[in-house]
Amino acid sequence: MINLIMIAISSIMFALLLVWWRWPAFRTWIEAPKYAMLRQERRFDDRSIPH
Amino acid sequence: MATLIERPVYPAGQRSVQSAGELPSVEYDLIRAHVFASLVTLVISVLFGILVATKFSFPEFLGGHAWLTWGRLRYNHTQGIFFGWLGNAFLAFFYYAVPRLANRPVLSRKLGWFLFCIWNFAVVLPGWVLVAAGFSQPLEWAEFPLVVDAFVVLAFILMVFEFVLPFVRARLSDLYVSGWYIIGGIIFTMLAYPVGNFVPELVPGARGAAFSGLWIHDAVGLFVTPFALAIAYYVIPATTRRPIYSHFLSMVGFWVLFFTYPLNGTHHFVYSAIPMAAQKGAIVASAYLGMDVILVVTNLLLSLRGNSGTTSKDVPLRFVWFGVVNYLLVSLQGSVQALMPINRFIHFTDWVIGHSHWAMIGFGSFMALGGIAHLWQRIPGTRYNERMMNWSFWLLAGGLTLMVIDLTIAGLVEAQVWESSAPWIDSVRAVASYWLVRTLSGLPILTGFVLFWISLVTGPRLSEATTPAASRVTLEDISAFEEAPAASHEFTPTRWLSNAHVIAFGAGVGFFALSFLVLAILPGKELADEIKRVAPVTMAALTASEQRGRVIYGREGCAYCHTEQIRSLAADVRRFGAPTEPWETKYDYPHLWGTRRIGPDLSREFNIRPRDWQLTHLYNPRLVVRDSVMPPYPWLFKGNANQPTQEGLDLLAYLESLGRSRQLSGFDQQALTASVHAAIPDMAMASEPSARATPPTVPIAMTGGYSDSAPVLHPASNPDDLQEEVSRGGSLFAANCASCHGPAGKGDGKASASLSPKPADLTAARFSDERLSSVLWNGVTGSAMPPWRQLPTEDLRALVAYIDSLHVPSAAPSTQEPTTLADGKFLFATNCASCHGDTGTGNGPAAGALAPSPTNFHLKKPTEERAWEVLENGVPGTAMPPWQSQLSADERHALVAFVRSLYGTPQENPGK
Repeated sequence: MINLIMIAISSIMFALLLVWWRWPAFRTWIEAPKYAMLRQERRFDDRSIPH
Repeated sequence: MATLIERPVYPAGQRSVQSAGELPSVEYDLIRAHVFASLVTLVISVLFGILVATKFSFPEFLGGHAWLTWGRLRYNHTQGIFFGWLGNAFLAFFYYAVPRLANRPVLSRKLGWFLFCIWNFAVVLPGWVLVAAGFSQPLEWAEFPLVVDAFVVLAFILMVFEFVLPFVRARLSDLYVSGWYIIGGIIFTMLAYPVGNFVPELVPGARGAAFSGLWIHDAVGLFVTPFALAIAYYVIPATTRRPIYSHFLSMVGFWVLFFTYPLNGTHHFVYSAIPMAAQKGAIVASAYLGMDVILVVTNLLLSLRGNSGTTSKDVPLRFVWFGVVNYLLVSLQGSVQALMPINRFIHFTDWVIGHSHWAMIGFGSFMALGGIAHLWQRIPGTRYNERMMNWSFWLLAGGLTLMVIDLTIAGLVEAQVWESSAPWIDSVRAVASYWLVRTLSGLPILTGFVLFWISLVTGPRLSEATTPAASRVTLEDISAFEEAPAASHEFTPTRWLSNAHVIAFGAGVGFFALSFLVLAILPGKELADEIKRVAPVTMAALTASEQRGRVIYGREGCAYCHTEQIRSLAADVRRFGAPTEPWETKYDYPHLWGTRRIGPDLSREFNIRPRDWQLTHLYNPRLVVRDSVMPPYPWLFKGNANQPTQEGLDLLAYLESLGRSRQLSGFDQQALTASVHAAIPDMAMASEPSARATPPTVPIAMTGGYSDSAPVLHPASNPDDLQEEVSRGGSLFAANCASCHGPAGKGDGKASASLSPKPADLTAARFSDERLSSVLWNGVTGSAMPPWRQLPTEDLRALVAYIDSLHVPSAAPSTQEPTTLADGKFLFATNCASCHGDTGTGNGPAAGALAPSPTNFHLKKPTEERAWEVLENGVPGTAMPPWQSQLSADERHALVAFVRSLYGTPQENPGK
């Protein structure tokens, strides 16, 4: 059972790496949240700056 | 509930449902409240911890009050850190981060205040009070009583509504990694908490331990770790104004963490009775987890590349950076110490305590502190004292480093002593100085936490422009993404990928179910089958008194110093006896296996020590074990050790029941045991001398005053060597024997008042080397005299030499007339031979049933004064009655002369 689980984990990880390598657009898509987070930070920053 | 989950009142210009251009509101009052609560509970919890540590060096310190005893303070220390400090800190962070990550406000302000009240006034505060009052649960990381646990579960359900629902409503397809960790952590802990807290109450012993092990690790792995990582992934980009290195790697880290962490739990019970497949699975998962941590930390540190200046100047970021580094180191340490070759040595030692402090302070607390300091600067109207914050960092980092190094070395020292045949108390003595250093290391840590608090309420008040100018995100920071070719944005995720929050929810539930199945249900079924097959049919459940004693045992935290599981390791078996079998725990609701040994394992306590020793030990351990660090329990007695309360008697009854089923069942004589043990390579003890095969704490009955299984230890014949032996024996005597026998060996030690029979007056008799060697080797059944065969042979010989030197010959030896000896012999045969044997060898017909066994006068020559006193008064606590009313003075004189004449003469029918 444990072997099965470990094989499953490894398979999922390798599948993710395969997708990352095979579809460049996936890389952009999956990296998008880190920019969205910064954009959101900027929006909050802007609100806090007195005008 | 309907009134709680209602739309909050938002500032003018904002709505609850955000349009694209509007910002969600942030509940700053709730953030302030949780930050304040976290720091108050942090300082109180650390104070509890320092008191706990101090008691290692000064066990009597505050020892007279039940609510300040070591066990209860220890429970409140860890639960206070877990719920009070980290719980409140994480909640404060959620109120800050969730609106930003989900672009939605939290569900309800009123719900938030309700949650705040539940967390602090239905969990933390009553939990502390109940534990101090004696209502607790003796399970690691689950010490608050069940009634409090119900509110914890309720709080997590409320958290789902308050923090997870905004993500669900937002239907974000690009959920940032911090959001994933927040959702996964809340969902998983909500499910795992009942498993660790309620199930062991319903599923006994080894089976319950399999469930309990899940929560022990999940408490750190799925509550502290996800939320701390959520903070790290948030604070680093928000401060450096650069996106993290790779969101892809962060997601791989998330999934592997949630896949493998739940599978780690059983590594707390390596070499235990839990099926080996589950143990090995947990070890493999621990190694996997270590690899995942390397990946996560690499990603986080790469996110800081080129920002060393910012990291050193921005104190909140420095807190997070230090937490990330500690996360790497402590996680790799955790993976290594789960491996069987390492675990066999360091498990139960202070090494593990160092590891847990490293994790909870170095990783969890530093992350939480960094998160609080970061968000605090962005709350309108708060104060911030950077200089004080800087001092806080260095004090905390310095104190933690000292503590971890100290405890790690202490653990190695303990492991070394435990591997040897030295008495258990030697391991306590060996680390006494380390415990003192550990206590001292708590002072800079406490000071650092206090300074952190002060830094949030002093210093310049932050203006409405809450975000420090230096850390505002600029357009340039995200320009790389914005300016990327539009084609690269065209990847269209499938529908299920768009619902990232649903996946995170599913991850929590799915992996919980998986760990539950693999580490608890399947091993539990295997254990249940084995118990059904193997358990002796005669195995009796605990009596009502023993059951009450078990509750007291748990209440006072005994299981946190004494394990009730003998591992399948040669060192354990040599010291405590055969490994614990699952069936022995059949009636243990909940299990009391323990994860730490400061005192010895107690699972074979049945018939080892007499009740007077046990009661004296409970009343004040140092009366019988000079260097013990065990707390005293005077509230279980009415003023002295001879007058236990009903609770004291109940606890005694429980202690005396431990291992009873095993001993009475004859299980160890069955072939099955041997076959089970033969399967464990470590059980091979080919080099073990048969004379030490019985665990050294178990007394061996002797009839006739000695046993030929014990080596006869003759002191050195050379005067110089003898002098050296006597000197060394004196030191050993003072450390190990004087608490009962008194500093001069007169039998008047501190413990003597409550022991029956009294400890021997070693000055009032001359003992043969055979007698002394046998007593030191075997102990004296029926008395408080324990065996000391775990001492090295040279030490035992030195003790024999020293005790020999204590004997003071009678001032005026009388000359025995032949007629007196003849009279004495006749009187002896008439009155004494049934116990002492016809020739005074202590093996008369009645001797076998007596404990302590009757004196063999060939091996022990009492002084005239002592012999006379015994004939007049008897020996209380033994079968020896007073003869004053039955024999005349002349007859008693004749008997004294006769028995003293036997010493050193050849024996007939020597006892075995």
